[in-house]
Amino acid sequence: MWKEFRSQFKGYLFVLPAVLFMLILIGYPLIYNIVLSFQNVDLSNLATSDKQFVGFENYKKVAGEEAFGISIGNTLIYTVGSVIFQVIIGFCLASFFSMKFKIAGFLRGIMMISWLIPMTVTALLFKFMMGSGEGIFNQMLLNAHLIDEPIGWLSSPEVALWSVIIANIWVGIPFNMLLLSTGLSSLPQDVYESASLDGANWWQRLVHITLPLLKPVLMVVLMLGFIYTFKVFDIVYVMTGGGPINSTEVLSTLAFRYSFSDFEFSLGAAVANVLFLILFAISLVYLRMMKKDEGI
Amino acid sequence: MSTRKNWTLSIVGIVIVALFLFPVYWMIITAFKTQTEIFQTPPTFFPETFQLDSFATVIEGGIGQYFLNSVIIAGCATIVVLVLAVPSAYGLARFKVKGVSSMMLVFLVTQMLPATVVLTPLFVVFNNLGLLNTYIAPVLATATLGVPFSVLLLRTFFMGIPKELEEAASIDGCGRLRAFLQVILPIALPSVMVCGAISFFFAWGDLIFSITFNRDQELWPLTAGIFNAIGRYGIEWNNLMAFATISVLPVIIIFVSLQKHLVEGLVSGSVK
Repeated sequence: MWKEFRSQFKGYLFVLPAVLFMLILIGYPLIYNIVLSFQNVDLSNLATSDKQFVGFENYKKVAGEEAFGISIGNTLIYTVGSVIFQVIIGFCLASFFSMKFKIAGFLRGIMMISWLIPMTVTALLFKFMMGSGEGIFNQMLLNAHLIDEPIGWLSSPEVALWSVIIANIWVGIPFNMLLLSTGLSSLPQDVYESASLDGANWWQRLVHITLPLLKPVLMVVLMLGFIYTFKVFDIVYVMTGGGPINSTEVLSTLAFRYSFSDFEFSLGAAVANVLFLILFAISLVYLRMMKKDEGI
Repeated sequence: MSTRKNWTLSIVGIVIVALFLFPVYWMIITAFKTQTEIFQTPPTFFPETFQLDSFATVIEGGIGQYFLNSVIIAGCATIVVLVLAVPSAYGLARFKVKGVSSMMLVFLVTQMLPATVVLTPLFVVFNNLGLLNTYIAPVLATATLGVPFSVLLLRTFFMGIPKELEEAASIDGCGRLRAFLQVILPIALPSVMVCGAISFFFAWGDLIFSITFNRDQELWPLTAGIFNAIGRYGIEWNNLMAFATISVLPVIIIFVSLQKHLVEGLVSGSVK
């Protein structure tokens, strides 16, 4: 008994500092944020103890704002749009680089650079390339006679959200490619050999063997992509700041605007909690899948 | 595979990568272009005159301080992550501690949380503790990105090390802590470096924590500096791109020197 306790105690000494760190810096704020969303905290009473409980007032107020509905829609379009293209392009590239030529691994690795570059820099870079006059995107499209007049990538409300999505797809492609490459390399080769003997063509092998076998990996990649994309902040904040006229406002930027431009901390907290609830629900589904898969 | 097929695939691969990384190339060469050349039609894909003025401008504009701040914040965050995550991952892998799965859950879930949710509460807490406008605030906040990632990645790694190694060490009279420090840690060093590098990248890329917690520009990292420079340099794209290029440089250097380990680590760390 004593010995068991002693060995457990040592284990806790190793494990607990990091757990406590996360609980204090993430767990506590998370709960605090829920409390905040039910109070009336703005700049005037942030440091005082004069905070009233206002029930669901903040949520009602936020839900009544036009920007809220728009930002939920935008977050969904942004996420689904980004993830779909990242996975499709990532899959094509993973298939290509899984052909075993000499520099495949090296080239695949080099592509990771887009993932490493700070989002702020990437956002600035795409902002530059999507400029209406000097931007290389418009210049090339005009030169190729694909368009007659410059596209207002970031200035026209109909296009801006897709411009931000394009930048984000670029960031996410290598990571998706990497995960899918690992998935592809773990597929059993003998199935392909016998399928080739049976005369299955490339398309039949893809639809009847690769995709079904890869389904668990694909699900993980889709879920992870969804979770990480849904909380987008930097790219949107730097490229468009949520504009023009709310056309790229997402939940993160809206929460940030409430809290740190308008200093309506409780409204910001309410928006952030809506974001959190949606993410939490999806994370639970993901964790269930992982549990089935790996038995953590 | 025939040599010819190998060559064809290699060339196609290089073209794909070159196209994909075009934005990075465009960033770097724009930094060397003159203001007139940037607005020239048709665009030039290689600078006609290499000018270094943009780099001089951003250096005089105080990029050095931003750079130093980034190094301090990302460096300290990395140290915090490693000090916390390495023992924790080891403990989760080796000891039969009660509640391992719920602690794993803490790390998994916290990894998926958006910064926006904890931003306001952390702002209030740091405000009460007098930590706003110090390096400590962004260091602590960005370390929360690296800790869960590193714990999950390193736990898998530690589980792969045979237990007999520590058992042998304990027969030799080594205590648990010494066995961990002297036997296990050296083996784990490449993985620990991967975690360190990735935590460094996370902290290096942070914008939201820094601009929220530090109103004092003297403490801003490069990312916040760039955000600010967009207003300051306006459409002087060569200056902005010089700024961007300088801020990307350290990340690329670290990546290139650790490439092989990093790519493997990223895969196992993100799926587990």
